Amino acid sequence: MRRMLRLFLPLTIAAASLVTAMIAAPPDPGTHAPLTVGDATALLQKTAVIAALLAVWMLAAVALTLMSGREIRYSSLEMRASALHCFALGLVAVTSFALTAIVFSYLIPYYVGVPLLFALGVFAILTKIYGTVAVFHAVGTLVAGSRTREQLARRHWLRGDLAMVVVGVAVLGALRLIPIVGPIIWGFASVFGIGTALATKFGRREPWFLAWRASLS
Amino acid sequence: MKDSSVDDGCQRYLEDPEANAAHLQTCAKCRAEAAGLAEKAGAEPAPIDLDALPLAPWEGSSHRSWGLVLGGAVVVVAIALALCDAAGMSPLHVAESSLTSMEGIRNLLNRATTSLRAASIGMQIAFGAVFLVVNALLVFLLRRAPRGMDA
Repeated sequence: MRRMLRLFLPLTIAAASLVTAMIAAPPDPGTHAPLTVGDATALLQKTAVIAALLAVWMLAAVALTLMSGREIRYSSLEMRASALHCFALGLVAVTSFALTAIVFSYLIPYYVGVPLLFALGVFAILTKIYGTVAVFHAVGTLVAGSRTREQLARRHWLRGDLAMVVVGVAVLGALRLIPIVGPIIWGFASVFGIGTALATKFGRREPWFLAWRASLS
Repeated sequence: MKDSSVDDGCQRYLEDPEANAAHLQTCAKCRAEAAGLAEKAGAEPAPIDLDALPLAPWEGSSHRSWGLVLGGAVVVVAIALALCDAAGMSPLHVAESSLTSMEGIRNLLNRATTSLRAASIGMQIAFGAVFLVVNALLVFLLRRAPRGMDA
């Protein structure tokens, strides 16, 4: 099983990279026309929308870290400890969400589809938000986390979960503003986040399924 | 049956405690056992140099840098407002833009469902098989216990 997983993971990453590159590629690479006023306005509006959404992400990340900092830290730690597993789980989870949404949408004429689709949407959005905040924490810790106890003791501002999350939002937000590359990085971060959120059961570190054990006594 | 509480490090320490003395600094169970044995033998347990231990993830994590948080939030909100102002947009436009992207996802979902309904029985069965395989894979991956604390 482990050998199968070893084969499966590189194939999954290769397939995901190919699909992402195909989606993110410019529609017509042959055109190199100069930027018109309309194009510049559209670009500015797009940047404004991204910056506004980053501000919302910043507020959401701070609020979520204040509410459940320990869970966010556990998830961030898991992401750094087993990144490949989180990424593979995220890819499979996103695919599963999409296929399940199609199935539930198929069931809408039978009435049961509407509440199921609503529940799936809420779960997917919560997973995405929680996971993305965990990614912010992981990126912030990788970029600005203390390596030694002396370094930690010297710092007054750049320490603690809140600071790591803010640094992560700043770093990923700056990358998000880069055209073409930004959305790809953000997409990868979302996949990582969804995988981490599910792998740690939203930081609770409990098993998703109960294992049956025969009583020995 | 292998006892899961005794890992390779513990095993090596039990086989040769002097050569693997560093294991005591990372394993609380072996440290407690060594301390117990030392107490029985009337010997002092080896002192632990706390500063030599690696930095734990929870150390300093409860610290709240309000200055950094407020500063960062103010800067990001100010940049967003300035860009919105330069682009001639209001926050309502931003919300509308987000809703438009949601509308795109909804349209995509509707198109996929319509295509599935119009597809042949064979294609629908194939879709069902893919659905089952992907969800089985998801369950398989979810069964793995997280290892962040033990890494």
